[in-house]
Amino acid sequence: MRRAMHPLERLVNLVALLLESPTPLTFDRIREKLAEGYGHADPSSAKRMFERDKDILRDIGVPIEVVSVDVWDVEHGYTIDKATYYLPDIAFSPEEISALFVAVRSTGDPSAEDAVRKLLSTSEEGLLSGLGGGPAGGGQDPNLGQAADAVAGQRRVRFSYRTSRGERSDRDVDAFGLAVRGGHWYLVGLDRDRGGIRSFRLSRVSGALETAGEGSAPPDGFRAADHVLAGPWGPGEPETTATVAFSPGVAWWASRDVANAEVVGTRDDGWVEVRVPWQPGESLASWVLSFGPEAEAVDPSELRAEVVGALEALVRG
Amino acid sequence: MTDRTRSVPPKASERLRRLLVVVPYLVRHPGTSVEEATELFGISEQDLLADLDLLFVSGLPPYGPGDLIDVDIQDGRIWIGMADYFARPLRLTRAEALAIYVRGAGLAAVPGLDEAPALASALGKLAAGLGPEALGELPERVETASAGAEVETLGELRRAAAEHERLMIEYYAASAAETTAREIDPEEIFFEIGHWYVVAWDQRSDAERLFRADRIRSVTRTGERFEPRGLRGAGRALYTPGRDDVAVTLRLDPAARWVAEYYETVRETELDDGRLEVELPAGRLEWLERLLLRLGTDAEVVAPQGLRDRVRELAGRTLRRYA
Repeated sequence: MRRAMHPLERLVNLVALLLESPTPLTFDRIREKLAEGYGHADPSSAKRMFERDKDILRDIGVPIEVVSVDVWDVEHGYTIDKATYYLPDIAFSPEEISALFVAVRSTGDPSAEDAVRKLLSTSEEGLLSGLGGGPAGGGQDPNLGQAADAVAGQRRVRFSYRTSRGERSDRDVDAFGLAVRGGHWYLVGLDRDRGGIRSFRLSRVSGALETAGEGSAPPDGFRAADHVLAGPWGPGEPETTATVAFSPGVAWWASRDVANAEVVGTRDDGWVEVRVPWQPGESLASWVLSFGPEAEAVDPSELRAEVVGALEALVRG
Repeated sequence: MTDRTRSVPPKASERLRRLLVVVPYLVRHPGTSVEEATELFGISEQDLLADLDLLFVSGLPPYGPGDLIDVDIQDGRIWIGMADYFARPLRLTRAEALAIYVRGAGLAAVPGLDEAPALASALGKLAAGLGPEALGELPERVETASAGAEVETLGELRRAAAEHERLMIEYYAASAAETTAREIDPEEIFFEIGHWYVVAWDQRSDAERLFRADRIRSVTRTGERFEPRGLRGAGRALYTPGRDDVAVTLRLDPAARWVAEYYETVRETELDDGRLEVELPAGRLEWLERLLLRLGTDAEVVAPQGLRDRVRELAGRTLRRYA
């Protein structure tokens, strides 16, 4: 008696058949061997069913190849190359595979979850027991996969971007790298319209990243992280330094809050003078103000004037 | 092109994808419990058993008893035989390879993480094992921009949380711009959006408090033990609304819009003049005074009335430093 084969069963059998067959099989041979799957329908509808199955397999990453099985290139056969199909064995230690497991667990990224599950099989010793929920190493940015793809393939992407100031514009960027900072992912690349390297926080991209062909190679010595380094002076490398004095209760924190801050000395009143990176015209004044009466901009006079000006404007109301 | 009218329900492809991942694990880990399999692969017991049910009528031609995959489930444990060709998983798709690498790199960026060394070597093996065709330029191009200095007290905090030991800490409270000494019962240390936090019972206020670990200047052991109260760590909201919260309404110029991204707001309205009106709940107003001081004329206080005067008073006090 012939029963209708479940589609999943047919697909599993097809994968097994093509993986184990030493030579490519023509569709007629496949139909013969997998009679329950493809044999019952007339040849043309069976062929259509097979074509759909083939698309499904390719969709999930099964590498089905079509090759000629005669010298005249008339008959075609289907095969799955084992070397291409199987995940290479990577000898992860239990600590390593567990760390990867923790890394994807809290991201809610289905591709990453599928990946770690495939890798689990290759680890003979399995996971460490008692795995806790991992910390979230980055936001759940829906565009992260596409951004990684663009960086990996050195491609050019277009997207709509909103700056932190709320201004929206379309960007055309050669993807150079990715950086994570403070729990957020940034795409760094050459902004073609602006002619310079810019960083884009992925959570501020609206819609999808659209691939726009080949990009370009980043300059020698490029480091994505350098372009999202930001401090009170704003993004990028600060040009010079400024000196700010802090009350004793604040100084320890203020000097570690800023990368490359340097304690210059302690005044007679116990206040600590700290030299911090500074870029004229940027927002160091705002950082100094966040400490209220516990901080004082010492020099340059330009910075001091900026702070005083802001305070006077507030006092006037 | 994907055929929209395919006769195979889309579920079959989903199930196949899952099966080609689960089966290799079960082949290589004979006797895995159903419970462990469902947990590891994020699948319900019902779905797993239904998939395995179909698996054992599958196999190779001529599909005789000796050609079919052998699935044996006994006492809640699973054995799969006659499936050597499924003993290794399907290679990673490009999307999967990129996703796991980038997520791993993201976690490796967390400073002071216990798993960091294992993760770094795992990523190295992954890049070497998958090769350039899978990851392209990516391994060279993902980086961490350090968000701050290493937190030196992390080890001591973790130890105290594990051993339930009360600690004396010197803590920098940004809201008041001051460092104070406190006695705390640390229950859990967790990482969230760029920072390590300690959830603890604060003896001084006799209440649950969240401390940012990098703002703890020093940690001193007390030798006293405490009874944990079951405070919630990872996954909790960083801001807990309180009964005494005041609704603060601000109008932000473009230069001050970052406030809406940085702090939790309950309402955001775009105004016709290009400003953003936000409402944020605040338990205490000190931190808002300092925030408004740094925003200067880029922010306008709509409510509460008294806040504007307090900011003006603070500005006057700060200005006296420059007299």
